[in-house]
Amino acid sequence: MMENIQATLNRGPAVQAAKPIKMKTKDVTVHYGAKQALNGVTLNIPENQVTALIGPSGCGKSTYLRCLNRMNDTIDIAKVGGEILLDGEDVYDPDIDVVELRARVGMVFQKPNPFPKSIFDNVAYGPKIHGLARSKQELDEIVHTSLRRAGLYKEVHDRLDEPGTGLSGGQQQRLCIARAIAVSPEVILMDEPCSALDPIATATVEELIDELRENYTIVIVTHSMQQAARVSQLTAMFHLGDLAEVGPTEKMFSNPDDKRTQDYITGRFG
Amino acid sequence: MSTFTIILVVLAIGLAGAFLGYRHSRALQAPAGVKPHSRPVYHASYVASWAIIPSLLLLAVWLIASPIVIESQVRGSFPEGVLAESQLTEDLAYGIVESLGNGLSVLPDDERATVTDEMPVKDLAALLRNRGLPVASASADWMVPLALDIDTMQFWSRLAMTVVVIALALAGAYWGYRQIAPRLRARNKVEGVVKGALIAASSIAIMTTIGIVFSMLFETIDFFSRISPAEFFFGTVWEPRFSAAGSTGNAGSFGFIPLLAGTLYISAVAMLIAVPIGLFAAIYMAEYADNRTRSVVKPLLEVLAGIPTIVYGFFALVTVGPFLRDLSAQISGIVTGDYASFIQAQSVLTAGLVMAIMLIPFVSSLSDDIITSVPQSLRDGSLGLGATRSETVKRVILPAALPGIVSALLLTASRAIGETMIVVLAAGVAANLTINPFDAMTTITVKIVAQLTGDLEFNSPQTLVAFALGMTLFVITLCLNVYALYIVRKYKEQYE
Repeated sequence: MMENIQATLNRGPAVQAAKPIKMKTKDVTVHYGAKQALNGVTLNIPENQVTALIGPSGCGKSTYLRCLNRMNDTIDIAKVGGEILLDGEDVYDPDIDVVELRARVGMVFQKPNPFPKSIFDNVAYGPKIHGLARSKQELDEIVHTSLRRAGLYKEVHDRLDEPGTGLSGGQQQRLCIARAIAVSPEVILMDEPCSALDPIATATVEELIDELRENYTIVIVTHSMQQAARVSQLTAMFHLGDLAEVGPTEKMFSNPDDKRTQDYITGRFG
Repeated sequence: MSTFTIILVVLAIGLAGAFLGYRHSRALQAPAGVKPHSRPVYHASYVASWAIIPSLLLLAVWLIASPIVIESQVRGSFPEGVLAESQLTEDLAYGIVESLGNGLSVLPDDERATVTDEMPVKDLAALLRNRGLPVASASADWMVPLALDIDTMQFWSRLAMTVVVIALALAGAYWGYRQIAPRLRARNKVEGVVKGALIAASSIAIMTTIGIVFSMLFETIDFFSRISPAEFFFGTVWEPRFSAAGSTGNAGSFGFIPLLAGTLYISAVAMLIAVPIGLFAAIYMAEYADNRTRSVVKPLLEVLAGIPTIVYGFFALVTVGPFLRDLSAQISGIVTGDYASFIQAQSVLTAGLVMAIMLIPFVSSLSDDIITSVPQSLRDGSLGLGATRSETVKRVILPAALPGIVSALLLTASRAIGETMIVVLAAGVAANLTINPFDAMTTITVKIVAQLTGDLEFNSPQTLVAFALGMTLFVITLCLNVYALYIVRKYKEQYE
């Protein structure tokens, strides 16, 4: 097992060298109280690519994702170790402004969680608190652009003042994506964004993710191997808190090196 | 047998029936291919239900009906002279006869034997007085035979009740026991009994409320037949002028406005202080405090809720009131050179302040539960967009929790309006109409207590006004609660 990790680590940078690195993580560990959830994950996230994190339940992929914008801070007992760099800047530096970090590294959650406000106010929420718009026109502009980018504008442009919670599940999730991109983040983290959606809504969101790649760096946690294969360029396989293997998605799904990856994608466990 | 003993016997029969039913059910040999429908414990409960429920229902009906029947019997044999008088006199006479009758059953057998139809009522009253049962104004000799009648009827009624109820319990147990068979759907029937018991429990609560309303309603109507509603609701002077027992005349002003104003004023001051503090405490506990702090602070805050309000009253009377008075004296001394306190020791401010302390745990505890129940996903969503905690609270959590918080506040307000002890001690009993928060005022509840205590004739408007006040207070708090429900419903639809 140690050999595998070692091999992975040695191989990792070579494979990923093709694109500039947006986020670098080194030996990231997470403890929930006495329980260790992540045992030292070293992974580079390339810019303007979709990186998929796969692995069986409880393997630490969501925990890892939540380290990237310090969402684990909201859990009292979580303790994060190791190094996480965003454009070479240490995310866990005491001097860093967490609020600003989260504006740069946005997040979309597993369950669509629109605020109990109108569609417009949902998207305008981020720009308002960060003071991104100086006038009503600018705010309108940001909201409309974000909704357009999230592929939701056509469906809702005539009812922006209706509650966001009244939309369908798939629309709600795209609203949450629009809400995230309204603050112009550099990285978008997605935690199983399609697990609560039906296949048609899933397809729409997947297309959207593929389009967003142009402007944003995306990290997505998914349970669906097909989804990882469809939307991502780089895939990282987690297992029991370890990073089992990381590589270009095509290679991972056709010819994985690690036995655990093989077993997982052929459906032998997980 | 006393009612309590009868109930015990019925329960014992039920228990025995359950035990026998259980044994019988265990011993049942189901025919081949037939699966017993219910477990033995259901058969046992089934037998017990048959034994207990019908007999206790009969007991309840009997206890209610028997005095009514006896009363109509006895009243029928009242002398013509009494029947010709007013209803009130007749009621009074019956009351005396009844207490004589009840007294007879307490006498020891040898004294009881001396009482005959011809015995003068004075002697009987003396006899009872020796046993510690004074019968006031027992004056007419015709009452003695009727009292004896009551005693006899009560004796037979009780005997018959005992026999019939116990017989019914035995019959029920037997009937239930006979029914036990492999395919008896005892499980479903016991389910029905459970449901019935639950419905009965909730209807008792509702019936009691209705009963309370009606008990006030008739007295209130009586009051308004003497004092016009306009005078009550729009009068600005509260001066009921205690009428001594026996004296007639409705002199006195029953203006309700000063009391209403005092009630609303004191409640408003209390809410003004309690709501921000309680709400902030709730936000701190729900959003900021870690689990350790929360587990210490929350119970501590709730201790405040457990303090009896009379203790808050002391606190106001001996500490807060004098403190405010002395403070105001100092301030006026510094400003004008004259050390005259402008805050009375008993004032709206004192009462509001102390009542606010009492209300803080209500506001914080109710709001805390509501804020905590806002889904974590909304918090994550807001924090994930780079909002700070306070932005999240202000823009996401509070709007989402608003309907719940509003209804919590309205519930708190009804409590503030109903508070009595703090007001008596902190704001006094003077029914002033003023807008100066440093003056003494009083509330509806305080005046209800004041009107009902003391040696007053029950029939005078001075006493009856308490019911009108109570009814008005009930309507006010009812409206508040209904409004709270309405708000919750309205916003729930919008948010979910």
